[in-house]
Amino acid sequence: MGKKAEILERLGGIAPALRRYSRALCAGAGHTLSDELVQSALQSVGARIRARELRPADLQEARLEAYAALTASAGKRLTDASRPTPRHPPIVHGLAELSLDDRAALLLVSLEGMGYDAAARVLGIRREALLAQLMRARAKLGVVGLPPADAESGARRAASHLRIVK
Amino acid sequence: MPASSIIGEADLHALVDGELDAERRRKVEDHLLAHPGDAALVEGWRRQNAALRAAFEPAALEMLPLSLKDAATRTHAPQQGPIETGAIHWGRPGASRPSQRLDEIRASRRRQAALSTVLTLLAGAAVAGLAALVFAGRNEAPRPPVSAVLTQSYAGRASLTYATYASDARPVEIEVSRKGELVAWLAERVGFSRPPNLAGLGLRLIGGRVLPGVAAPAGLLIYERANGARLGLYFERAEAAGAPLAPRAAQGVTAIEWRAGGFAFVLVGPLAQEEMQAAAESAATAIAAAPDEKR
Repeated sequence: MGKKAEILERLGGIAPALRRYSRALCAGAGHTLSDELVQSALQSVGARIRARELRPADLQEARLEAYAALTASAGKRLTDASRPTPRHPPIVHGLAELSLDDRAALLLVSLEGMGYDAAARVLGIRREALLAQLMRARAKLGVVGLPPADAESGARRAASHLRIVK
Repeated sequence: MPASSIIGEADLHALVDGELDAERRRKVEDHLLAHPGDAALVEGWRRQNAALRAAFEPAALEMLPLSLKDAATRTHAPQQGPIETGAIHWGRPGASRPSQRLDEIRASRRRQAALSTVLTLLAGAAVAGLAALVFAGRNEAPRPPVSAVLTQSYAGRASLTYATYASDARPVEIEVSRKGELVAWLAERVGFSRPPNLAGLGLRLIGGRVLPGVAAPAGLLIYERANGARLGLYFERAEAAGAPLAPRAAQGVTAIEWRAGGFAFVLVGPLAQEEMQAAAESAATAIAAAPDEKR
């Protein structure tokens, strides 16, 4: 089996994780839409690899491309998506309140366990911008089950946020 | 300047996210010991992470819908997939086809539906006129019996069958202890004889029976949970191109229909709709994986 074929074959193995990310990114917008995003992302990356538009060095690179494809298409598909219902847990409602960019940054790092460089690559932004989005998301989401952090700590975060810009 | 004074919020996030090297990590942890406010922030973010994982990790453990299996290696959707259904969430008919192809199919179906409607109306008008002549002078127009209406669809027949047998003291004709005989009987009479294994969902096959179908004999397999709840898997030869019904829930029972291998399958049972769907997905996957039965 050639390298390309092997990557394509193993790419299917990330479907469960991609599905987890998609479900969270959709934030209560529905499982059907969530699965359509996963299917679309996998097919898109697979087709690009077969067409040699994309030549991933390894599975990890193909994986990041799949996350990137999913995130990009979510931006188009989630504009008119339904909101979470009362049966969803508070964390889902919290996610739905975040901007898609901030939500994606938080989920890639906190849920998918990606490093900052990998997550920044998925989102097509610089590492510093990713960290800013991550900070915003965590501050807005607050501590689950508790009220968001107070204004004083918010001010502190703004100050420390300035310090990270190189 | 003490080391802790140069610890910024970015370091706290990096600590939570495992982005620090060992030396920096030790410094940040020392900082947290002296700054309980920052320690609380870090703890809060860790709780966020735990809440996210608790909410969404189950999605990664669910059985994959067919539409996602081999999606990366699929060059195009097969003309007739292993399962064609409007009932289960993976199976919006042709969901994996390119959108242009899907539009063509939908347009074609709309044209066929419009033509069919016109022809039906014309035929209906002709029949109505004839009936008016035949029954002129009578007070009531003839109506189809209720049973005829109920049995017009596979799901309707499956629901009636389920209602008849599932609660019976003898729900099956041949029990699973005589599985060989059951399989041979279903293969001979119905043409499908591979009971899907749903043990992973806590559903034990208890047996099956042959039933009258419309064009040919149909079959019914009955599964049982430890709490006594029973599910029926009804199957009957069917046109693959037919449009399955959406899941139907009535009187505490849900029916989910799909098509595969020249058969209509309907899973009927009293479980919650999500559980019914999971069971239907599992059954459909097992059936799709099995070699074709005799046609």
